Amino acid sequence: MAGKRVSSQNSRKHGLNSAPEFESSFEYRALVELIAEEGLSVFVCADIALGLLNYRRVMDAYYDTYTNPEPVDEFLRDANMRASNPIFSELLSPSGSEPQDVREMAVFFASMQRQERRKGGPVSRRSSDTHKLIRYQRNGIARLSRAVRQG
Amino acid sequence: MLYSVRFGIYEDVAMPIEDKSKSLLPFLSSPKLLPNESEAEFQSGLQSLLSELDNPSALAVALVSQLNECLWWIKRHTVDKELILHEAMARLLSKAGSYSETYDNRKVSEALERYLDGSADTDEAAWIEDILAKSKLTLSDLRVRAFKDAARHIKMVDDLIHRQHQTMRHLQRSIDSIDYKSRLIKRMDLELAALESKKSVTGALILDAKPS
Repeated sequence: MAGKRVSSQNSRKHGLNSAPEFESSFEYRALVELIAEEGLSVFVCADIALGLLNYRRVMDAYYDTYTNPEPVDEFLRDANMRASNPIFSELLSPSGSEPQDVREMAVFFASMQRQERRKGGPVSRRSSDTHKLIRYQRNGIARLSRAVRQG
Repeated sequence: MLYSVRFGIYEDVAMPIEDKSKSLLPFLSSPKLLPNESEAEFQSGLQSLLSELDNPSALAVALVSQLNECLWWIKRHTVDKELILHEAMARLLSKAGSYSETYDNRKVSEALERYLDGSADTDEAAWIEDILAKSKLTLSDLRVRAFKDAARHIKMVDDLIHRQHQTMRHLQRSIDSIDYKSRLIKRMDLELAALESKKSVTGALILDAKPS
């Protein structure tokens, strides 16, 4: 569920979740006109032009996602949690906290650290972020290929 | 005839298109390169694919350009697979012995890289061998353990490579269908022309045969 939510956020960021408005663009009209010179019907040309523009939209998002992965929080990743316990105690003592609070804080940070480490380094992150766009590429190429072959 | 077609942000690319003004590429966003990638290599791949086209129509050229981008992505993802493995190997070594000051030790990572490609100096090589000995690992053990640790991410990269292969199949089928249609139209044109010329010859013969 969390994966799907992140994937959805990612695609929303690139506008892949919304229906594109290519028909009113100059590029679309130019493409239809040029493809029509191949002797295909107007409907087929329109489908191919939409397929091409949509595919490029997905591949642009793919590149952007790949080149802008979630940054690594090096401080959290490299922190020595055991050595941090006295710091947590120090932070919590003015409020008169119990040792249980310090333990809970340490557990909380350790869990955040595990999550951070699980995501891996920058290469793992960019691969994992790009992986979320696979279905958009699959749908994009299927649409383009169908349009070309129906002609 | 070769024309030079403006290909997005890149240098002009010579493409075997009959008419420069008929290219679809200026109306489509261009595949982008990373700062360390060779534009010349990218374009040479594109040229090589374009030269395979029987009939380089504007649509076929646009599809071939997408195909070239897929090949480029496969290269990038293949390199990433090795980088992920290296990342995991360095992390395992960083945890070993007395070198565990950070989780992802850059110093270990760089030394390991030089050690693996044989460019490490004697001290550096001895250092890596020392960490390996302290971890009771051989280089191949380290690789196997790193592969296991990074399996989830390596699988993701494999999925990405597989997706590019599937996309290439779609594009190949699309290009084949355009190329086949144009070959068919050409063949029919030739047959029609042959029939017409045959008809006109027959007509001329009939006319010749008629008594004046």
